[in-house]
Amino acid sequence: MIEAYFIHLAILVGIYLILALSLQLALGYTGLINLGHIAFFAIGAYTSALLTLNGIPFIIAILLAGVISAFFGFLLSIPTNKLKGDYLAVATLAFTFVVYAVTLNWTSLTRGPLGLPGIPKPSIFGLSFSSNLSFLILTIIIALAVYFIIKRLVDSPFGKVLEATRDNELATKVLGKNTFKIKSIALGTSAFFAGIAGSLYAHYITYIDPSSFTIMALIPILCIVIIGGLASLKGTILATIILILLPEPLRFIGFPSSVVGPMRQIIYALILLLILIYRPKGLFGKVELD
Amino acid sequence: MLKIKKLSKHFGGVNAVNNCSFDIKENHITALIGPNGSGKSTVFNLVSGVLKEDSGKITYDKIDITHFSPEQASNAGISRLFQKSQLFDNLTIKENLLLAIDNEDTKFWKNMLGQNKITKEKEVKVEEMLKLVEMESFSNKLGRELSFGQKRLIEIARTILNPHKLLMLDEPIAGVTPKLRTKISEILLDLKKQGATILLIEHDMNFALNIADEVIVLDEGKVIAKGTPKQIKNNKKVLEAYLGD
Amino acid sequence: MSSIAIQLLFNGLIAGAIYALVASGFSLIYSTNKFIHFAHGAVIAFSAYILYFLFSVLGINFGFSVVLAIAFASLLGYVLDIAVYKQLRKKKASSVILLIASVGLLILLESLILILFGAEVKTIGFIKVSKGMEFLGAIITPLQIFIIFSSIIILIGLFIFMKKTKLGKAMRAVSDNKDVAEIVGISSEKIYSWSFIIGSAIAGIAGILIALEQNLEPTMGTNLIIKGFAAAIIGGIGSVHGAVLGAFLLGIVENFGIWYLPSGYKDAIAFVLLFIFLLFRPQGILGIKRRAEK
Repeated sequence: MIEAYFIHLAILVGIYLILALSLQLALGYTGLINLGHIAFFAIGAYTSALLTLNGIPFIIAILLAGVISAFFGFLLSIPTNKLKGDYLAVATLAFTFVVYAVTLNWTSLTRGPLGLPGIPKPSIFGLSFSSNLSFLILTIIIALAVYFIIKRLVDSPFGKVLEATRDNELATKVLGKNTFKIKSIALGTSAFFAGIAGSLYAHYITYIDPSSFTIMALIPILCIVIIGGLASLKGTILATIILILLPEPLRFIGFPSSVVGPMRQIIYALILLLILIYRPKGLFGKVELD
Repeated sequence: MLKIKKLSKHFGGVNAVNNCSFDIKENHITALIGPNGSGKSTVFNLVSGVLKEDSGKITYDKIDITHFSPEQASNAGISRLFQKSQLFDNLTIKENLLLAIDNEDTKFWKNMLGQNKITKEKEVKVEEMLKLVEMESFSNKLGRELSFGQKRLIEIARTILNPHKLLMLDEPIAGVTPKLRTKISEILLDLKKQGATILLIEHDMNFALNIADEVIVLDEGKVIAKGTPKQIKNNKKVLEAYLGD
Repeated sequence: MSSIAIQLLFNGLIAGAIYALVASGFSLIYSTNKFIHFAHGAVIAFSAYILYFLFSVLGINFGFSVVLAIAFASLLGYVLDIAVYKQLRKKKASSVILLIASVGLLILLESLILILFGAEVKTIGFIKVSKGMEFLGAIITPLQIFIIFSSIIILIGLFIFMKKTKLGKAMRAVSDNKDVAEIVGISSEKIYSWSFIIGSAIAGIAGILIALEQNLEPTMGTNLIIKGFAAAIIGGIGSVHGAVLGAFLLGIVENFGIWYLPSGYKDAIAFVLLFIFLLFRPQGILGIKRRAEK
């Protein structure tokens, strides 16, 4: 019984980690204030769910979830290229709301508020991942892969161009770099991994509906990225573990589950505010949000 | 090498650059001077693609670069230093300089697949540049840890490392100690000996008139005088422009 | 004009009146403080829930409840400024950080409402379901007429305040140029506080009108602030006039929009318009440029 609980937590840590690392790529390394990250999570979840519910094998579904999310990431980078700081933030936030409205209203595709139940557990080449333990292993493998891919990218010279774009876009252009292309790639890649996380989420919970993809869902991820520290991958990992585990004791104090959910959000919001005021660099951050 | 023809740019109601025309000769050091607000930085911004012109034409090496973006201008061979510090604060000095060398770092797949390593050649280039500006020990410091004068030197180094045929320097010695000023002066003259073409904006008249082969004077967005430093020193119009300010 | 069109127009004006209250308070705060105070939506929601609590739960006299709810909203806005935004201002936080903090506050307050009041939809049973009156071929209830008029009166009051009173002029001064205003002796911190007090009071009024006209649910704040923000951007953020213009336009476009689109998409209209304006005309219809582009 206890192990089932810890396995569940570990899976959540894995999924949130992928979401946080991908947001870190866009926000911490490239300086894109992308508050619409949840939209890519949603697109990935719905894509993967719809594909597998229609008989497409999981491995193709999860990859397509990433690809289609990436496509929307690239798409979003076009009109937002010239927007600065807070306007970029609001435009990406508006994107989340647009995607939410579509999932709620395009009922012929998404069944609207009824959601998509019965999403099949993953099965790769006949190997079924229906038990939670096996799902955890799958999640860990994917999370590790995502970590190493992103680490490779940010440690490479391309990663330095991302950071240069964040620190001073004009100076980067003047050195001959096409920053629009750079930002598009960053946003697209970030969206790709968010889509993958969405797919994992859909196949774990086996039921998705629009309510999992509102602005509320952004707060834990944003919290993790800022608390871990901008442009720090190891900070992100640490922060994910801490923040997912932190509110868990609430369950055991006897609060009803309808209260535990909002309480988690309150804890996250409070921590976010405290960090912003007293330690904006977070745990291991290189950079202050600017 | 660089031809500016009837260039104009206005902001709100002000004509920052007004029907401005001049030529820059290859392998010369040309100084662009003029009182505050005469449009010098705006001309720089127009040439390096940072601003869009209202009208006029800019030709560089026989190519029309009037509508070039900053990246395009840079890749065409124009390397630009800004008046305000534009160092990458959160990157190390070494990383700041490496970024200038080429654009291999913008190739996503090449970098993902590990095929764009930082070669010994590039490291040597960076080290030599640091030696030139006498800042070898700063290689691993972060941009924001440097003082103003140190930042200036690194930015000049970065501007030079950026492959170029034309160097455009906006106030390279502003706010810098006399010792550094001499150092920068030496670097520029050396570059010229190696064949570079340099266009610089400078408020320090002494510096500008000492180092330049040719001087162009702007006032209110227009060219009011052109010539050798000696000719400019004795030019009445120039005196009026500065005093009447 | 067909009676459907007139009905839609009226519905648009009613929605516009509410959005105008939301947007004007928000815009007052934005133009003075220069950042996007998303938590404004939560202040509106809290005001509605406080009214519910005082009147429907505790049974306090309606008039008192209304006054207390508005006062609470105003106080809440002030507290948010002092406790959070002011601390960030001291650290020279950029407008992006303030925006993120405001999103955090929005979520925090909405979660608080969820805990205190639960997720079920609530209604305030003050005005019994009244029959609508016929007017120019469309149906409109007395409450809705009241909403439109109160909104107009408050907006006029706001305009007079901004133009004629000392405090209003000081606010405009800080909005135009904080540094110059300080040189003339205006304390910008005080003005910031006042903008929150007044802006949040207007939010309180909006919350009450919405509570009477519609249902209460914990996420109503997010929805309203997005619409309020959309209205402000459409009309021209940075001026209260712009916000009001945008609000009425949004209300009308929304209602005419669902003549053609399935009604579920009504909210999406605001989001899409917001997106389009941010991308193609961030300075809005009235065109007050606010450094939207690099």
